[in-house]
Amino acid sequence: MENMKTNETKLTKKDINSLSKRWIMSSQITWNYEKQMAVGYLWAMLPIIRKLYKDPEQQKEMLKTHIQFFNTTPHVGGFICGIDAATEEYEGYKAKETVKGLKTGLMGPFAGVGDTLFGVLFPTIFGSIAAYMGQEGNMIGAIIWLLVNISILIFRTFTAGIGYKEGSKIITSAKDKLDALTAAATLLGITVVGALIATVVRANVTATFTSGEISVNGQEILNQIMPGLVPAAVVGLIYWLLGRKKMSSTKAIVFVMVFSILLHVVGILG
Amino acid sequence: MEIQIWQIIALTILSAILIWDSISTAIFDAKPIFAGILAGIIMGDVATGLAVGATLQLMVLGVGTYGGSSVPDYITGAIIGTVFAVTSGQGIEFGIGLAVPVGLLMVNLDVLARFTNVYFAKRVEAAIERLDYAGINRNVWYGVIPWGLSRALPVFIMLIFGENIVNIIVNNMPEWLTGGLNVAGGLLPAVGIAILLRYLPVKKYISYLLIGFFAAAYLAIPMFGVAILGVAMAVIEFKQNIKDSQKVVVANAGVSQEGLLDGEYED
Repeated sequence: MENMKTNETKLTKKDINSLSKRWIMSSQITWNYEKQMAVGYLWAMLPIIRKLYKDPEQQKEMLKTHIQFFNTTPHVGGFICGIDAATEEYEGYKAKETVKGLKTGLMGPFAGVGDTLFGVLFPTIFGSIAAYMGQEGNMIGAIIWLLVNISILIFRTFTAGIGYKEGSKIITSAKDKLDALTAAATLLGITVVGALIATVVRANVTATFTSGEISVNGQEILNQIMPGLVPAAVVGLIYWLLGRKKMSSTKAIVFVMVFSILLHVVGILG
Repeated sequence: MEIQIWQIIALTILSAILIWDSISTAIFDAKPIFAGILAGIIMGDVATGLAVGATLQLMVLGVGTYGGSSVPDYITGAIIGTVFAVTSGQGIEFGIGLAVPVGLLMVNLDVLARFTNVYFAKRVEAAIERLDYAGINRNVWYGVIPWGLSRALPVFIMLIFGENIVNIIVNNMPEWLTGGLNVAGGLLPAVGIAILLRYLPVKKYISYLLIGFFAAAYLAIPMFGVAILGVAMAVIEFKQNIKDSQKVVVANAGVSQEGLLDGEYED
């Protein structure tokens, strides 16, 4: 890194580290329907733009380039910032068109991996454990999840550095490993979800069946058929509902609340 | 229990901090379980906060904001639910019953905050035309105001004026509603699970769903134990996949057969 400082238009390690941090802070603060994360992207790149382009007109043009629509997973956007910085450092103002293509070309693939890992799988696995333990009155699961999130945050401070060093080849070179990792994490997530069905959905069947003098508790019959039968059936019902047109998760929640009150009133669940 | 003025202020600040965290550092990552715990600490009843937060957490497993879609804000829901579960003495189910409608109403304010930021984005563009770096900085950071206010303001208002309304609700709540909410508290986690199953490639991994269910329902293995089982199977899958992808590199010709035999191709 030392020789980089000899030329003043070169970026230093400090610039790149600060790029990661700036992206973490800014990616969504001015999230808006028109530009989405573009304003945050611009702010993350500001010091680098000022350093690389001395001509005010070029600065202005690059600022305008960076305020164009941008959206990806915040956790992995730092990679794109790093790749972008390396490209602009190397090619200078000529890179303007390249950078446009680079950003729009990379935001999709990165979001694909990023949303799956950070938006679905991590929250599924650690959220399931934290919520399950939380329902039992145990906070350990939540603390573990918090520590995982702090680790992810620390990892994010390195993303621009990795992107800067590896360039756009990381998306191809790491692809096999990322795919394998995603598959493995998915498998783990699904296993945990299977256990969740049986443990966290509570349905206390109060209905009793009376035939002559014999009265049988509904819950006992169901347990003999299969423990966790009612929770599994409810999950199955909502899963089916969600597959129908015009059904949203919000509607499903409202449906369950109304459904619960009805089942309680008719004396099936209590 | 009466809510103290310092608690109202602390909870208002908490709601703003949680939304700022969710758009930047993401260590609490807009998750209701953390909101419940933190609100519980402020209210001096962590157990209630944890229970309200955990149930809401299960309900929203798999609900995420992609591409800036607004989803019900159950972090604010968890704060309000925890507070009134504690102050009303009505318990956890009452808190959850309150948290759900609050979370649903908050969607509108989330939309409003994202909409307001269009204005600041325009001002950033204007500052670029003038090459006014101070102006760019300023207007980017103004973005934190709509975000913070969109949570802090409603929380503050609900805590100031909500107590009387909640008391009226509590005193007049019929049995069918309290009993129904109790049932709903037990069933709502099923929604989160079902949403997740829609996101995850369940058809491909159906065996693992059954293994997880079997382990918990029949063997009564606690969640952490099931997770260990899952990690073990995940490691096997990971190694197998890495091996397969290396085979692809080594022998380009022979792989198509291999892949088909494994049944790896979906859709």
